[in-house]
Amino acid sequence: MAHRYDAIVIGAGHNGLVHAAYLARAGLDVLVLERRHLVGGATVTEELFPGFKYSVYSYVVSLMRPDIIRELDLPRHGLTILPLESTLTPLPDGDCLYRDADRYRTWRDIARFSVRDAEAYEEYGRTLFFMARAVKYLLGIAPPDPTRVRPKDLSGMLGLARHMLGLRKDELHALVKLMTMSAADFLDEWFETDVLKATLSASGIIGTFLGPRSPGTAYVLLHHYMGEIDGHFRAWGFAKGGTGALANAVAGAARELGVEVRTDSPVAHVVVRNGRATGVALENGDVLEAKIVSSSLDPRQTFLRLLDASVLPDELVTAVGKFKFRGSSGKVNLALDAAPDLACLPGHGPHLRGAISISPSVDYLERAYDDAKYGDFSRAPYMDVIIPSMIDPEMAPPGKHVMSCFVQYAPYELREGTWEEKREAFGDTVIDTLSRYMPNLKEIILHRQVVTPWDIEQTVGLSQGNIFQGELSLSQLFFLRPAPGHAEYRTPVRGYYQCGSGTHPGGGIMGAPGRLSATAVLRDLRRPGGRKGQT
Amino acid sequence: MSLDTIVIGAGHNGLVAAAYLARAGQKVLVLERRDVLGGAAATEALFPGYRVNTGAPDAGLFLPRIVDELKLQARGLELIESPAAVCALQPGGRALTLWRDVARSRDEIAAWSPRDAERYPDFVDYMGRMASALRGTSTLTPPDPHDGSARELLGWLRPALRLKGMGRRDMMEFLRILPMSAAELLGDWFENDALKGALGTSAVLGSMQGPQASGTAFRLLYHYQGAENGGFRSSAFVRGGMGRLAEALAAAAREHGAEIRSGASVARVLVEGDTAVGVRLETGDELAARRVVSCVDPRRTLHGLLGAPALGPELNRRVGNIRYRGSTAVLHLALDGLPSVPGVTGVEPITAHIVVSPSLVDLERAYDDAKYGRFSARPCLDMVIHTLLDPALAPPGRHTMSATVRYAPYDLRDAGWDEQRGRLADTILGLLDEYVPEVRPRILHQRLLTPLDWEREYGLTEGGTYHGQMDLDQLLFMRPVPGWGRYRTPVAGLYLCGSGTHPGGGVTGAPGFNAAREVLRD
Repeated sequence: MAHRYDAIVIGAGHNGLVHAAYLARAGLDVLVLERRHLVGGATVTEELFPGFKYSVYSYVVSLMRPDIIRELDLPRHGLTILPLESTLTPLPDGDCLYRDADRYRTWRDIARFSVRDAEAYEEYGRTLFFMARAVKYLLGIAPPDPTRVRPKDLSGMLGLARHMLGLRKDELHALVKLMTMSAADFLDEWFETDVLKATLSASGIIGTFLGPRSPGTAYVLLHHYMGEIDGHFRAWGFAKGGTGALANAVAGAARELGVEVRTDSPVAHVVVRNGRATGVALENGDVLEAKIVSSSLDPRQTFLRLLDASVLPDELVTAVGKFKFRGSSGKVNLALDAAPDLACLPGHGPHLRGAISISPSVDYLERAYDDAKYGDFSRAPYMDVIIPSMIDPEMAPPGKHVMSCFVQYAPYELREGTWEEKREAFGDTVIDTLSRYMPNLKEIILHRQVVTPWDIEQTVGLSQGNIFQGELSLSQLFFLRPAPGHAEYRTPVRGYYQCGSGTHPGGGIMGAPGRLSATAVLRDLRRPGGRKGQT
Repeated sequence: MSLDTIVIGAGHNGLVAAAYLARAGQKVLVLERRDVLGGAAATEALFPGYRVNTGAPDAGLFLPRIVDELKLQARGLELIESPAAVCALQPGGRALTLWRDVARSRDEIAAWSPRDAERYPDFVDYMGRMASALRGTSTLTPPDPHDGSARELLGWLRPALRLKGMGRRDMMEFLRILPMSAAELLGDWFENDALKGALGTSAVLGSMQGPQASGTAFRLLYHYQGAENGGFRSSAFVRGGMGRLAEALAAAAREHGAEIRSGASVARVLVEGDTAVGVRLETGDELAARRVVSCVDPRRTLHGLLGAPALGPELNRRVGNIRYRGSTAVLHLALDGLPSVPGVTGVEPITAHIVVSPSLVDLERAYDDAKYGRFSARPCLDMVIHTLLDPALAPPGRHTMSATVRYAPYDLRDAGWDEQRGRLADTILGLLDEYVPEVRPRILHQRLLTPLDWEREYGLTEGGTYHGQMDLDQLLFMRPVPGWGRYRTPVAGLYLCGSGTHPGGGVTGAPGFNAAREVLRD
């Protein structure tokens, strides 16, 4: 064999690329292998129709860790984040709730519904800001294992305890509540306006197979609050050129650091010799050798597809088998002849440059979930809609627009039929629902692409189409992600690591798993002979 | 004569606290608004000649330690154990009985799913191991992460070591399943709907949530605590009715000098400065005592009897935010004979809980209705025929049947409970027509208790029988509200001792036991 790499990274999703870049930055000779023809994984921009470009899957950026942006110098590699400053929630009666960066205007708009809520809104923002800061600590550490007494775990637990006790008493209480409550219950403690609670609770359900009244969704709400752009918390943004531009920037940084990125190179399996990963075998039969192999794929792929289960302890195989994916969201990407008109706010004002949230009431979201619980896509789904071409004109031909609709719920497992049969019916439901708020929508659609969880699995390779590589539920977080006792990015196979969103701290375009896992790899490599994998 | 302690409410927890305080030499007076003792664990003559357990149907979770220490057996408490745990009625006239004897359950399950039958003994063993992590925690004061004393923290060392002693794999597993849903946990083990539906019924007690809600796996575990012998939930009944437990507790308290006054409704806790000095009755009489211990639920105690101004804005808001959400109704029936139950031979299988919960999907759908402010169109029923094991509760040949019905939300959207009461009774009887058709023709008397009745007659806020939902954020140092999980209140000398405090609802006696210890410690 000609060349032996220091490290091979499987999958060029944003976490795989971040991981590779940090390994290369430490002087390693790294190869990234990507199955598709382009890098990015679920963070890609594709020209689906001539002249119309789409962030096909993920569509907003905010969780990306600022230290990664800085350390990899991503702006120099083409990353520009344009702020997405407003959220408009249209109501069926023709009214709407509009919140934007202008605090006073937002106050006035909420006050139309309830002055009490308008007052509470600022305080709510502050509280979540502090909570997010408290939790952010967890994003920066590898999860300690509470069941072990190794010095590393003890000091990790101690650091964690010290951090938690360093919080003010009421902050700690709010944090514990946030970790366990439902988003609706949490918001009930703050507000009385249904539409405000609904649109805020929506960020608690994104990517989960839970409704706003399901316990555990308050944490997801917080997870989405941790976004920071240029030091501003809770700032959502749109990557210029689509989310693919972010992946390209990380890939650019990685290449500059010496990483070789090979696309159209699907990996068949990881080569294991005497309990140690020695390289990978490609689907075309080529075998590539490396000292270590890292997989950015989800836990099911990482353990059960790329490895032979016989090299793993039974309990891990069982645990990964139990790990819940349950993809629950889809995407409808539209090419429009013109900008849409909203019934509640006609004209092409600044509101079209923000998010449009179809979440008129908590019951609306909960009913959408009810359909999914029993295996149907929502008859009236929740949607988060943005029109990227309003923010970044290069996304569409002049005068035309692209519209991205994130849709929930679309359960991976349907009670009846297959997604191939139901795909267009699902797309029709989305368009019909949206048309209630955008009366001219049907007349201006030029093209449409409907992405179901099944399509996400087929194209991107995410098991059951789960956008977070596994649900962000309490029993699948922190030292339990992806499996109890295997949450430190290492695996029972020496030299084989996990670096995707299926590890702590989880999904979203964040980059934290890729970076934390790189730290774990580098720590092991610094030890003579490497660290023995745990069992 | 000056009183040391006034206990408000003669629910079982109030009586436990009173008995322990009196035993320690305090001069104790218990004031009960109603004429019967026991609160929501009482036996009442709802119909002439019948003694009915109006609220809690069984006492399987009651702490054996209290029975021993207060010598309750010598004072008339006798527990009758049924060999069955649950008899789950199924559509098509079949039934699946789960016994306290694991092998017997396994054989029964084999008719439904050989694979599940094989797994069942392991599951019982597994749940026993998981529940053992909770053992001993119910009689400890929850530690406060900020100002717990060394002694309190030391008390938690033992359960912590026990958790550690479970071994790494079990400990991880325990931590993993705590926030899980019962549906996920049961789905990990079993395939058969009838079995999962039967097991799931105890997971949805104590909270208005469906079996798919995270945290319901914990509640399943909570009910396994009282069933260490392989049944998955308690089926220990009190001879003479649940009221006998209250009477035995009252006898213990009286023997140590406590006075118990029924028909005495407290209107106000009296405060001087920031110290509780006694209570005022509805009659206007004032009674002085050095401290007041309330077994009434936290919101009714702190907002109703104490008054919001004494709490300060933050605590006031938190008390207002406690989630009660009563969602349980109980239908009591007097029957002119024992109805034959389809799918069941002999009476042995139906001597414990008889449930209608054919699958977790049915249970979840029953919950869906409640989410939108309606009672379930097809509710989950959990019935006990107390007269089978204790015929003296009814005239010869007659029977009682008490059905706990979920979900019947306190907050109805369309019309209040007074208008909808009859419709719920019809819905329940309609469902019974499908499963036990012989019930309706045998009904002599019936009485439906809705969440509104629980609130009006039994004083339970929002009809919440657990004094606050057993959700993960309303447990331990967060029960009843964060920072006040140690039975004390901002008013010196005012304590809480009801199910709204750690470890929570159900007839355990633990909150009263713990509160008495804290009072004595002060």
